[in-house]
Amino acid sequence: MSALLEIEGLYSGYAGVAMVRDLNLTVHAGEIVALLGPNGAGKTTTLLTTSGLNPVMKGDIRVFGRSIRGRPAHRAPREGLAHVLEDRSLFYQLTVAENLRLAAARSRGDLDRALSYFPALEPLLGRRAGLLSGGEQQMLAMARALTSKPRLLMVDEMSLGLAPVIVERLLPVLRRIVDDTGAGVLLVEQHVHLALEVADRAAVLVHGDLVASGTTAEIAGRAAALESTYFGAGPGVDADAGPSVDASTSTSTSTSPSASRSASPSANANANPSAGPDAGPDDRPDDPETAPEADLEGSR
Amino acid sequence: MTRPRIPAARLRAGVPALVVVALLAVILAKGDYRTNFFSGGGFALGALVAAIALGVVVTYRGSGVVNLAGAAVAMYAAYVYADLRTHGDLFLPPLPNPLAPIEGLVHLAGDDSFTVPHWPTSVSFGATMGFWPALVLALVFCALFGLVLHVAVFRPLRHAPVLAKVVASVGVLLFLQAVVVRRFSTTTQVVGPLPFVDKTQVDLGLFKITQEQLFVVCLVLVLAVALWALFQRSRFGLAVRAAAENEKGATVLGFSADRLAAATWVLSTVVTGLLGIFVASVNSSVDPNTMPALIVPAVTAALVGGFTSFGWTTLAAFALGMQVALVTFLGANESWFPKADGLPVPGVDLLVPLVVIVAVLALRGQSLPTRGVLGPGRLPFSPTARPWALRYGGPGLAVVALIPGVFFLSPAMRDGLTNTLTGIVICLSIVVLTGFIGQISLAQTSFAGLSAYTVASLSTHHGWPFPLPILAGAAVAVVAGVLVALPALRVRGVHLAIATLAFAVAVDKVVFANSWINGGFDGATVTTPALIRSQDTDTHHVLGVTIGDGTQPNPLTLVFCLIVVVALGYLVANLRRSLTGRQMLAIRSNERAAAAAGVNVAAVKVLAFGVSAFIAGVGGAVIAYRTGNVTPDKFLYDKSLMFFAFAYLGGIASVSGAVTGGLLVGGGLGFTVLNKVFGLPDEFVLLLGGLGLVVTAVLNPEGVAGKARTDLLALRRRFRPPTPADRPTPADPPTPADRPTPMDPLTPTDTATTITEPTASATTGPSAASTPAAAAAVPTAAATPTAAATPATAATPATASISAAAAVPTAAAAPTASGSAAGTHVGGSAGATPAVAGEAR
Ligand SMILES: Nc1ncnc2c1ncn2[C@@H]1O[C@H](COP(=O)(O)OP(=O)(O)OP(=O)(O)O)[C@@H](O)[C@H]1O
Ligand SMILES: [Mg+2]
Repeated sequence: MSALLEIEGLYSGYAGVAMVRDLNLTVHAGEIVALLGPNGAGKTTTLLTTSGLNPVMKGDIRVFGRSIRGRPAHRAPREGLAHVLEDRSLFYQLTVAENLRLAAARSRGDLDRALSYFPALEPLLGRRAGLLSGGEQQMLAMARALTSKPRLLMVDEMSLGLAPVIVERLLPVLRRIVDDTGAGVLLVEQHVHLALEVADRAAVLVHGDLVASGTTAEIAGRAAALESTYFGAGPGVDADAGPSVDASTSTSTSTSPSASRSASPSANANANPSAGPDAGPDDRPDDPETAPEADLEGSR
Repeated sequence: MTRPRIPAARLRAGVPALVVVALLAVILAKGDYRTNFFSGGGFALGALVAAIALGVVVTYRGSGVVNLAGAAVAMYAAYVYADLRTHGDLFLPPLPNPLAPIEGLVHLAGDDSFTVPHWPTSVSFGATMGFWPALVLALVFCALFGLVLHVAVFRPLRHAPVLAKVVASVGVLLFLQAVVVRRFSTTTQVVGPLPFVDKTQVDLGLFKITQEQLFVVCLVLVLAVALWALFQRSRFGLAVRAAAENEKGATVLGFSADRLAAATWVLSTVVTGLLGIFVASVNSSVDPNTMPALIVPAVTAALVGGFTSFGWTTLAAFALGMQVALVTFLGANESWFPKADGLPVPGVDLLVPLVVIVAVLALRGQSLPTRGVLGPGRLPFSPTARPWALRYGGPGLAVVALIPGVFFLSPAMRDGLTNTLTGIVICLSIVVLTGFIGQISLAQTSFAGLSAYTVASLSTHHGWPFPLPILAGAAVAVVAGVLVALPALRVRGVHLAIATLAFAVAVDKVVFANSWINGGFDGATVTTPALIRSQDTDTHHVLGVTIGDGTQPNPLTLVFCLIVVVALGYLVANLRRSLTGRQMLAIRSNERAAAAAGVNVAAVKVLAFGVSAFIAGVGGAVIAYRTGNVTPDKFLYDKSLMFFAFAYLGGIASVSGAVTGGLLVGGGLGFTVLNKVFGLPDEFVLLLGGLGLVVTAVLNPEGVAGKARTDLLALRRRFRPPTPADRPTPADPPTPADRPTPMDPLTPTDTATTITEPTASATTGPSAASTPAAAAAVPTAAATPTAAATPATAATPATASISAAAAVPTAAAAPTASGSAAGTHVGGSAGATPAVAGEAR
């Protein structure tokens, strides 16, 4: 199997601050790779960078064997890359059909095929996208991405704002798409269990660092520990966050060279989820402050 | 419509519809009304307005720019075409020549014969050119011009504030006009007829129309339908609409918003240019002023169409074009038509667009669809005057201007300096309105003119003694300003620019072109006291010093202007420092937030318009007294545009900016120097002004003065260690000086930094927090960051409320930061600051 997507030593972020550091990831044809991680981990950043909507700071991303450096963002879809953005980015003023037509580069057939995965959209074709329900909008976003016949599909939080029941119904569609078209999928998902069910491999990103990657079975084996990372990231639960983070990091068979120090940033994520962008500059990998800080903690 | 129509909305749509239907019924019912409304000339004018309006709509949909230069493009195209037809020359706009400074320097050194290679000013294609090649070439030129506009001007401004876009389009307008005036002078250029249609009358039953008029009307209708189909049906049109709504979404589908915008620019300049050429051919002539002014009805029509609908825009444009002939007829024939001194009031046809604009804005409010681009634009930073500037700035300026102005400058330079001083006043009025409160007014010289005519009338016909008419004139201006403010309570940004532009154009004709007011050909005389009369050549002896050298202009005129400038400068600087000034800035950055913070938005806006009009009014009065004679040309709408341009160039948000602007204005000191010392011809000012405006808007939205200030600040910051003034918090942990502040890296301003830095330290602290150990440190540490956060806002009570608005992102981040600081996570600060950590231990 050839690699559709190869991310090598990627650094990416905003305003000169790396929010994703030294990320390595590959997606092959016919497989679903789940990119998991707590809020603010840098998952969306990774996808945006792959699409060319965010600049690469360091490292490289190759899509279909070609580096994306210097490629304008709007060229990506023509090469066979489709991206379902986190905010869905539907055109609310246009009808469902028009939304789909915009993506259909060539024929009407692509459109029908995309619709076949989401038959619920069929009766809504003439309706304005702005009037659709959240679930319908998500289906439209997916259908729109499929319409362009992608060889590599990136889906950012398909489940955002959807009832778990709907997510349970939508995710398996991805599997069908992959089986039918042989495309590769990079899936960002908050519903870890569901994502692990449908994916072949998974990577866990915490605070910009890759802390675990492997087959779904491997990751699922540590699901409990990882899961607590997620819950730990929730607001106000940091009383028991400390120990569980230790658990997660100690079990991680991470490929990342920064695994040894990942305890500290992941702990940060627990301690202050609202820190958001401000948290970034403080734990850049070259950060000498990390060590004394750890000392302080130890001495207390 | 996404929303279901509620009865009130139906009423809003119904009333204007009824009015329009009633008007149409009257027009159709009366035979002579009908023939005048449906006249061939009216149709041709309507067609041109429609084409310009269609171009405006296309540009807006493609790039979100309301192109006030749209009509100027039509004029320019007509000139290009006419020159090709008659001389076979494709004339080129002046291109920047990197070698020109060398030549200038050598000339200065005394060698006037030295020349460097210059760009060609035109490309010759033989003696004359046939219709088709000339048309095609002119259209290709239009297309290229549209592309250049996009690439060089409006693409860099994609994320810029509305203001910068309006300014840039005004710059383009001035530039195009200047280029044409420079090449062909202001006289009318003859344009040959179209080859395939002529002036034979066609009887269409209801009305008669010539073949060529019928042709342009049909052409516009076809174009309108084609554009509609393109935008509604084609994939390109869908993509343009999609990109307007969500740029990112369009990009991931493979559309480059940038290319789409470029395509719409080309499309709009070609459509506009085509009709410009044809209508000039139908009218057999073109001049630099008539067509560009059509932007007012065109934008009005676009507004009626909501800047989206091609159908409504076209209809409205035709109606606005056709009403002109009808109104002229009414003025000549109807007894009820408003008269002044027995003559019909001129320019009523120009009031019609104004009325329509006000009606549309009142009924619809903020109706322009907003664009889904990322990154809200910021307006130029408005600094508070430093105490030292307040204390020494005015006297310093006075001395700098006074001594040479009174004793040393040549008459020409004295004149230039006086022009600069009056220019500063007008620029100050723009600083208050645009710089402080973010409202765009393109009618400032209208206020000035109203005041000037009031002064003329009162001083000459009513015998009011010297200073009193100034106040009366300013009062009149204030009334006008407040009137204009009323629509401004509902609309802002580009809508306001449109409304005020329409106001200015209407005032030009209705008031300034009204012989009852303007004193006819000779202008209105102002009775000026001899002491400050410009023509007075007496010398005065004060304390043994001789003032005046027996030449005009009278140096004391300059002194008079200077006193006014210094007084108004203080007024504006103090306004900026006052509570009201801070409220204005709050409104400028976010009206809703300001209202939520307890600012009475409506009152402050009206006040700002009042103050601004007052200043402009005083400026008008000073101009009146200075020249002793008020002529309309000083106050026409294009002067408003120019002053706006120069105020923006100078730096629109500060008194120093107004002073810089004053130095740049046409006829001002800077210009006089260029003219007298470097021998630059008059028309060049407009050209440089237009070009400078575009360049400033693109490169440096803060204006010249703002740029100088940020450079200075950056320099100072580099060379000076942080002082207590910079960090008002003693409890503030010593952060590395170069710590990136991710919240607002673009804010180079003082005000923002005082807030940002403590915020950064407050937030970076918690993020370093980690283990239960930190939680143990909470009690102590919780006190520390709170202390750090509180003085940050408390220590600068003056700036706190402004910066809360002036730097929204920062301010928005600040509460979050202090919020988390007050929460349980604060412990981390202990980890970040060794000193505090020591306490924790
Ligand atoms: N435009 C931006 N400017 C500055 N910082 C940003 C921007 N967008 C995201 N960030 C920051 O980058 C970091 C990574 O964000 P990202 O959106 O990639 O996270 P994520 O893993 O997708 O999280 P979530 O699960 O919540 O969607 C966060 O700290 C976020 O605050
Ligand atoms: Mg995300």
